[in-house]
Amino acid sequence: MVGIIQEQHPDRCRLFMQWKGMDFPIMVDSLDQLGVSAVPLVYLIDEAGVVRAARARRSDYEAFMAADPATGGAEPQAAAAPDLDALSRWADAGTPEAMLRYADALVMWSERGDLDRAIDLYGRVVKARPDWGAAHFHLGVALRRRFDSQNRRADDFARAIAAWDRALSIDPNQYIWRRRIQQFGPRLDKPYPFYDWVGSAREQITARGQVPAPIAVEPRGAELTHPARSIAQSPDSVQPPDPDARIDRDSGELIRIDPVTVPATGRDRRAWRVHLLLTPTAHGHWNNEVGPGQIWIDPPQGAVVDRRLIELPGAAEAVSREVREAEFEIRLPDAADKPARVNGYVLYYVCEEADGTCLYRRQDFSVRLGE
Amino acid sequence: MPRLFLTALAVLATIAVAVRAQPPAIRVGEAFPALVFPSLDDGKPMSITDFHGSKTVLVVFASW
Repeated sequence: MVGIIQEQHPDRCRLFMQWKGMDFPIMVDSLDQLGVSAVPLVYLIDEAGVVRAARARRSDYEAFMAADPATGGAEPQAAAAPDLDALSRWADAGTPEAMLRYADALVMWSERGDLDRAIDLYGRVVKARPDWGAAHFHLGVALRRRFDSQNRRADDFARAIAAWDRALSIDPNQYIWRRRIQQFGPRLDKPYPFYDWVGSAREQITARGQVPAPIAVEPRGAELTHPARSIAQSPDSVQPPDPDARIDRDSGELIRIDPVTVPATGRDRRAWRVHLLLTPTAHGHWNNEVGPGQIWIDPPQGAVVDRRLIELPGAAEAVSREVREAEFEIRLPDAADKPARVNGYVLYYVCEEADGTCLYRRQDFSVRLGE
Repeated sequence: MPRLFLTALAVLATIAVAVRAQPPAIRVGEAFPALVFPSLDDGKPMSITDFHGSKTVLVVFASW
């Protein structure tokens, strides 16, 4: 038994395998180089490496196991990682094909620093071949991987979503690409919760006396939510925390706000999940000694949002500099302007780096939805 | 004739590039693509060729 997994975060599959008590060799195909457009798929492969059945059924298994061993080419051959130097020289020729293969190899086989090079190459590939869906998908995988690293750039997540969205627009039948967007998208577009099993898995593994396999990037927000057929409107009784705009403003000098919008992947693209990433700049840090921050959402006329007031919890220590994330969902009305905008503001406690002065500040945002 | 020959070469090159740009086909009766992937266990190279000589049930799946 051998597996090939289609995961943005392969270590989550390791936890899954431990939880289910499965133990067989697994290969990681985060880029979907196989080009499969559905999972799960089962192939029966004979001793010579020939596929004898695809999407195998019970009768296929019986015939497969009863078949005489195949001969010819039936010796195991140890796999080897590609020659990165040779691929680099080939990529220097500048063809999109060569650049993509080298970028793929950098993503799969090199150190994290080479993600920058891979992303640059993918960018050149999609510029030369804007209709190459797989190249856009690979670019998105690399961008999201860099976003999840210590080397993240502010717009990596947004660019990843845009790349995946472009890939799916080129090949809307690509289920794997669709799922990659839906992983972070609105509940109206979710086929099922993606990673809501992680908590139960850890509990059960621990109950067995084992230590759960570690996960480098914890699933959060959209990755844990369940599908919904509608968005429950936030109650009118919720009041804005600063209705008269009396709180002094931070223009972004202390905290930077990066919005990431993830659309529904179907034809009805009126549903969005908005991710707000709040990052202290070099001039500020969070003050956690007073209370949580708040986010107020002011949607356009006729739009439905699941929450208008979001609490932004802090950290345990008195001061901190972590990136804070908040998510909400919005469904635009049928006759919404294109692009639409959802406005709001964030209230937070922050201290200045220069002299430690601690402040309570408001920063407004305006997030564009669609093109 | 030389122009026709060069044109044919260009067309073949384009087709070849286009063919390589597509993911490998997985068809019954043909060899499973011998792509090399990192192993989930230790990141070392692994391919279906490592399992030649044995009947293999290969499942492509995800944890989500």
